[in-house]
Amino acid sequence: MLVVKEVSKQYGDFTALRDIQLEFETGLYGLLAPNGAGKTTLIKMLATLLYPTKGEVLYNGNNIIDMDSSYRELLGYLPQQFGYYKNYSPKQYLLYLSALKGISKKEALPKIIELLDKVALGDVVNKKMKKFSGGMVQRVGIAQALLNDPKILILDEPTAGLDPKERARFRNLLTDLARSRLVIVSTHIVSDIESIANEIIMIKNQQILYKDSVETICGTLDGAVFETSMEFEQLESFRQDHVLLSEKQEYGKMIVRFIHKETPLVDWLPVQPQLEDVFLYEYRDETNGTVQ
Amino acid sequence: MRMILNEMKKILTWRMLTFLLLVNTVLYFLLISFDIEYFPNGRPALDGYRLGIEMIEEYGVKMDEEDMLDFSRQYKSLKKEADEYLQARPEFAAAGLENYEKLITSDWNNEEQQKLSNQIFHEEQVDLFWELQERSRLMEFHDMKEMIGFEANALQQKRFDELLAEGKYQAYSEVVIQNFKDFIVHVGITVLFSVVLLISPFILKDRTRRLLDLQYTAKVGRNLYKTKLIAGILSAGMVITVLLAFYFSLYAQNGTSPYFGLGVNAFIANLTWYDPTFLQYIWLCILAIYVIGIIFTMLAMTVSSVVPNFVTLIGIQIPLLFVMLLVGFKILLSHIISVQSPQWLVPCLYGLLSIVSAGLLIYLIRREKLRDILE
Amino acid sequence: MYECRKVIQSPIFLGLFLLFSVYNIYLIVSSSDHKEELKIVNELIDTYGRDISDTSLAQLDQDIQQEMTQLKRSAGLEFQSVHELLENMSLEEQEAYSQEHWNQIQQLAVKEMYFNTARSIDESYAGIDIQATGEGEVRMYGLSGSSASYLLQEYEKLDKRFEELVKNGEQKQWFFAGKAYFMHSFLFQTVFRHIIIESLLLIVLATALITAYEFEQKTQLLTFSTKRGRKLMKDKFSASIAIAVATMILLLGITLGTFFIVFDYSHVWSTSISSAFNWEYNFPYIAWWDISVGTFLWLAAGMVLAGGLLMSCLTFALATVVKNSYIAFAGIALFFVAVLLLPSFMSKSSILFFITGYNLSQLLLGISNSFMGGGLTGSRNYEWLTVSCWTLIAAGICFAAYRRFTKTDIG
Repeated sequence: MLVVKEVSKQYGDFTALRDIQLEFETGLYGLLAPNGAGKTTLIKMLATLLYPTKGEVLYNGNNIIDMDSSYRELLGYLPQQFGYYKNYSPKQYLLYLSALKGISKKEALPKIIELLDKVALGDVVNKKMKKFSGGMVQRVGIAQALLNDPKILILDEPTAGLDPKERARFRNLLTDLARSRLVIVSTHIVSDIESIANEIIMIKNQQILYKDSVETICGTLDGAVFETSMEFEQLESFRQDHVLLSEKQEYGKMIVRFIHKETPLVDWLPVQPQLEDVFLYEYRDETNGTVQ
Repeated sequence: MRMILNEMKKILTWRMLTFLLLVNTVLYFLLISFDIEYFPNGRPALDGYRLGIEMIEEYGVKMDEEDMLDFSRQYKSLKKEADEYLQARPEFAAAGLENYEKLITSDWNNEEQQKLSNQIFHEEQVDLFWELQERSRLMEFHDMKEMIGFEANALQQKRFDELLAEGKYQAYSEVVIQNFKDFIVHVGITVLFSVVLLISPFILKDRTRRLLDLQYTAKVGRNLYKTKLIAGILSAGMVITVLLAFYFSLYAQNGTSPYFGLGVNAFIANLTWYDPTFLQYIWLCILAIYVIGIIFTMLAMTVSSVVPNFVTLIGIQIPLLFVMLLVGFKILLSHIISVQSPQWLVPCLYGLLSIVSAGLLIYLIRREKLRDILE
Repeated sequence: MYECRKVIQSPIFLGLFLLFSVYNIYLIVSSSDHKEELKIVNELIDTYGRDISDTSLAQLDQDIQQEMTQLKRSAGLEFQSVHELLENMSLEEQEAYSQEHWNQIQQLAVKEMYFNTARSIDESYAGIDIQATGEGEVRMYGLSGSSASYLLQEYEKLDKRFEELVKNGEQKQWFFAGKAYFMHSFLFQTVFRHIIIESLLLIVLATALITAYEFEQKTQLLTFSTKRGRKLMKDKFSASIAIAVATMILLLGITLGTFFIVFDYSHVWSTSISSAFNWEYNFPYIAWWDISVGTFLWLAAGMVLAGGLLMSCLTFALATVVKNSYIAFAGIALFFVAVLLLPSFMSKSSILFFITGYNLSQLLLGISNSFMGGGLTGSRNYEWLTVSCWTLIAAGICFAAYRRFTKTDIG
């Protein structure tokens, strides 16, 4: 459906992405990478805001830039940060954007009410947005991305500013949406997508590291993740020798989760690797700890 | 269409319109009100104005020699009237001012005579005497109609001779045309400032508020930039229209409509390359204000598309507006068809400014299509 | 000062500053045709002293006669005065003279003009009727009631000052002939107005930039929650003031520097500003105090500084409230013009007509007439009252704006 073909992006001398090769079908994709890895650059290229320095993005075999408005017609996009008019109500704002999306006013009005209900803003439809909290503005953003019933829905850090309850609701909404369309969610919050993504894409060193299901990606660390407990005093030296994934205190002792790829000690408890473990392992600071 | 309207709504907000109202109030009192309230400005301007209307009624829009003869006949009979008036007042005869001739050639050092002369002209403001003065001034001009009055170059001289050969010479008092020229320049300045203030922030605002991400990924995409430019020009056009309508409705109070049919070259000291009627000339100036307004709208949008912040937005436009104030309006509006600029200059300037401002926008439309939206 | 950097590093500010400086230099250099002729005054002062007395004038007369005789002999001419000679000279005759002779004639003509003016000072000053002028003003502006009697009172005071001035002989000092060169108007009206308007534009822009910076860069949440907190506005205020002072000093320095390099004022610094030679239009300049040209220049520059600083304060206050540099700039520009027009909305029979004239815009734009008597803004106390009243107003507004800012929500 959507193919990223040998795409590179450079800003002057700086390479943001190198030879990216990706294929998307209907379903939910999680784009997972730390800040600054090139997530937003990739997403902005999919949204036609940036042009690839090399390569192209194809939708059903057509270059999306050549497709022009017929591609954007299929697109729903929520940027990481987006502007709005302070004196507009969500309804006015969505009407404004629906005009840009080529939706007639008659069609747009019921859709707007429906969507605002869906993101739990049904009772502030006509309130000016300048009094909105960050989470409310973000939900208006989500609503606008769905205005044109997009075939391709791209969300850049959509959960920023949402409370846990909103997050849960949002996850359900996403699963629902992904049944009949391509949804790409970029995030650095693993729990947002771990349970719902069909595939996870991870970017490292300007290139694709993984593009696979959660299980397969976790499988790469099978038998290498352990937990053990130790005294607080021992922790410092242990840190030197291992890649620590997490540490917490329990009953006066430290429980440590870490990676170890060679023969483990007996009192270490092998555990099931989680997506978060892979994330922490792959994006660890190279200076801290070594893998044994 | 709906998109254009939406963008226009973003420009013509109540807040902005209120602000424009304030700006116009201040600029009206600073510049325009004088041209309305003080027209004709004292005497003999008033007499020039009245006499012009009288002349148009009697002789039409063109004075030929016969008309001129009649004009001087009237002068003589009025002069007789004036003599009689003076003789009816013994104090004038007593001071040696028994006729009009003596009154106007009165001795500057004779206090008694000065007092009486002052009385008749300034204190009593006797119309007859003012009118006579104005009539004699116009007759003097007529007598010198073959002299161009300033150091002319060959082309100017040629134009002057041309008009003279057609029997078009300067016969009517200049108060009306001069007043209109002042008025129109002041209106031009007011309109220009209004338009620039209105349009400047518009494109920059969407950019700094990060609206482009959403706008350019919607179906309309980067074509929206073009829509914004059109909306800007239409909004400017609307504001210009409203302002011109308002200021011209005030100008109507000046009561210059009897002059509308007069060729502009018939006014004293108003030698022009073309010879439209006064009304046509007014329309030409209105058109010029639209063109200037739209050119500066386009420049403002150009600047607004490239600068990083408001201060730069203002700063870059200050020199442009300065140049307009210092020389621009004089050449582009006041001297629009005057022989004081070479004939080719004004059309060329309009052409050049239009091409440059439109060219910049076309460049920006292309650039916007290919630009990475980073900010 | 980090706040100042925000302005100094903004290319538009520097660009405008350079543009203005270049324009001012051009303005001065392009009107300097007569700068050589001005040097004759320096020569006169060197030879005959600054004060014009009967004896020095007689000496000058004698010298002119002597030079004339010389000229007559060497050029083989016969004439009573150079003026008469020039008047009757045709272009062909003029070309017949050698360059040296011609220069000599020119020089002499100028000297003769100065001599004639100096000789007629007493007569022309005797012809000045201050009271009548006041009555003329009242008629001209159509004043009545309290405003008319106020103006007449002012003229009465001016009359006394005028008598004192004549007694002191302040008018009898050499200066560049006003009716020929209009140096006072050129410097204090044309050049100073340029400086004033340009520096106001720069100052208002800079102040608006600094004050609204955080809100326009969307850094307000960070900067106003630091330890310095909303007191940061105080830094912004001082930075605006610093930039304003620097801008004005530099612009004054560059422009006036050029001016005095082009025009040699070295000999006339201590000439009284009320010199009869400084008489340009219908009415001579009559300063309320015996101030010299040099002092007047310092005072004028001081008023520019004061005015600029006050405008900076007002801009700061407005920008603090509206948090938007565009609106702040346009608002202040509007305010400046509105205040300028204020008196014309007052009844001409009311003293308000004069009180509203005590405003910054009128003070700054009328700087060439400051400290002078006559006219609507010619009161003896006009300058210091205007400046101090507006300092109070600006301080009050600034303080209120700051207080308000410390209490508003920052979103």
